[in-house]
Amino acid sequence: MTGDLSAALRAEALKVRRSRVPWATGAAMVLAGLVSAFFLFVLQDPARARELGLLGAKAQLAGGAADWAGAFSLAAQVVAVGGLIVFGTVALWLFGREFSDRTAKDLLALPVPRRAVVLAKLVLGLAWCLALTVLLLGTVLASGALLELPGWSPSTALQGAGTVLATAALTAGLATTYGLAASVGRGYLPAVGVLFLTVLAAQVVAAVGYGAWFPWAVPALLAGTAGPGHPAPGAAGIAAVVLLAAGCSAATAVWWERADHST
Amino acid sequence: MDGPDGSAGAAGGPPRVLLHEVSKRYGPVSAVDSVSLSIGAGEVYALLGLNGAGKTTLLRLLLGMVRPSGGTAALLGRPVGDRRTWARVGYLVETPSAYPELTVRENLEVVRYLRRLPDRTAVDDAVERFGLTAYADRRARALSLGNLQRLGLAKALLHRPELVVLDEPVNGLDPAGVAEIRALLAGLAREHGATVLLSSHLLGEVARIATRIGVLHEGRLVEELDAAALARRVHRHVRVTTRDDARAADALTRAGLAPRRVPGAVLLEDAWSRDRPDAVATVLVRSGVPPTGLAVVQEDLESHFLRVVGADPAGSPGDR
Repeated sequence: MTGDLSAALRAEALKVRRSRVPWATGAAMVLAGLVSAFFLFVLQDPARARELGLLGAKAQLAGGAADWAGAFSLAAQVVAVGGLIVFGTVALWLFGREFSDRTAKDLLALPVPRRAVVLAKLVLGLAWCLALTVLLLGTVLASGALLELPGWSPSTALQGAGTVLATAALTAGLATTYGLAASVGRGYLPAVGVLFLTVLAAQVVAAVGYGAWFPWAVPALLAGTAGPGHPAPGAAGIAAVVLLAAGCSAATAVWWERADHST
Repeated sequence: MDGPDGSAGAAGGPPRVLLHEVSKRYGPVSAVDSVSLSIGAGEVYALLGLNGAGKTTLLRLLLGMVRPSGGTAALLGRPVGDRRTWARVGYLVETPSAYPELTVRENLEVVRYLRRLPDRTAVDDAVERFGLTAYADRRARALSLGNLQRLGLAKALLHRPELVVLDEPVNGLDPAGVAEIRALLAGLAREHGATVLLSSHLLGEVARIATRIGVLHEGRLVEELDAAALARRVHRHVRVTTRDDARAADALTRAGLAPRRVPGAVLLEDAWSRDRPDAVATVLVRSGVPPTGLAVVQEDLESHFLRVVGADPAGSPGDR
């Protein structure tokens, strides 16, 4: 299986390298990092924040203080909310493109088994999401240094980056849903529908107070989107995300192995 | 020639493709209905059928892409789905496709990785064999339909498989390309002993390339015959047009022939007329009704099918 996975990874990596989608998702993450930096810039100067009115108030709600802890907190929230859309796009593109380009049939009767191709897509997707998170962290660090944010310490950086990475890991796990949706739906469109549905459902479920149990709301709660008054999700919520990711990954592999590929 | 009993390959030796009463149903629709066939090494077997006859479904069944509702299928001595088989099988199903942002060479590299071929020269070799040298570094999205078809064939044959399964392999190719692919497939079978299973709706093309033909209609294998037998069975007739068809028909009748008048033409369906259209013309010229048009017409595939399935409402092969 190792040889099969390695072969499938080489093939997938070549396809990703030649695509514009990595650049687009990278640009989206850098843009999100720059927007976070703008919020911090506004928070740094209360007079300017008052002049901006609503924007200043919103920045206060989302990020808290204009210091390094606030910068990392804002980055975690970007990963939890914006990341679900960006990571979801990665997953639905990796699987959905095979149907839009009509290349899925070329992956079905090969010495490399279909489950190895699915696993390669998932591994590559995970690595891609990690790279995007590192890119966001890099943007946050660079902009924080430019803004000369106060409160830097190794422990603050470690804890802040740890929260961002943990949020990213959970969000990347949720993105497997859209890989499954793109496979079963044989294209991008059904997966985009599921993506919007889950993002909307997460908002509604979190608003009525059950977010800690709803997998798609868990990363946002972990990132502190609900504010300081709300507790972080417990082990059950995190376990729900892990189980969902494992279930969707396995279901995608089983679907590719056993479904009737008649189109 | 073997019948569709699935007992042995027609070319001798163990069959490379063996189907026994294979069926595929989608709800109430029977896409493939109890098909049995056996294809041996070195054969070029053509599945001939109208659109929707079940050709592609049958090929997908063979390639493990869809599961049969009934029956058994084996490739190269192993049940369909045994992964060890796929290294020895090449295929092109339906329209050729490629990753649009990858070049021709990169598309072939993807296949080389997934087929776990260690030989890096396989890609260059395929590029050259399929006349893609000039397009090797061109992105697939910029290829013409014909070159996309060549790329599809190159992907299918990159690893020089023992069994090649091709769905409409000459679609989109220009006449020179068709001849090239025909020669390549014939060479694969003749020189390398490869088995070629292809589907087509082009009667003339199939007759030139196949050693054996199976006619698929509404999911059933309704006729199986070798290429020579097909040529004998396909109806041909002489179609004559003149300025006075009534006089022409009289003249031909007086000459001992059996003309049949249809709107705008006179038809002769006997073997003598088919073999000697020049003599038919001479009869007409001597009778003072020279032909304005004379052609030996071969019935089209649809007419042949309708006749094979006993549903030819016009009763006039090739004249519709």
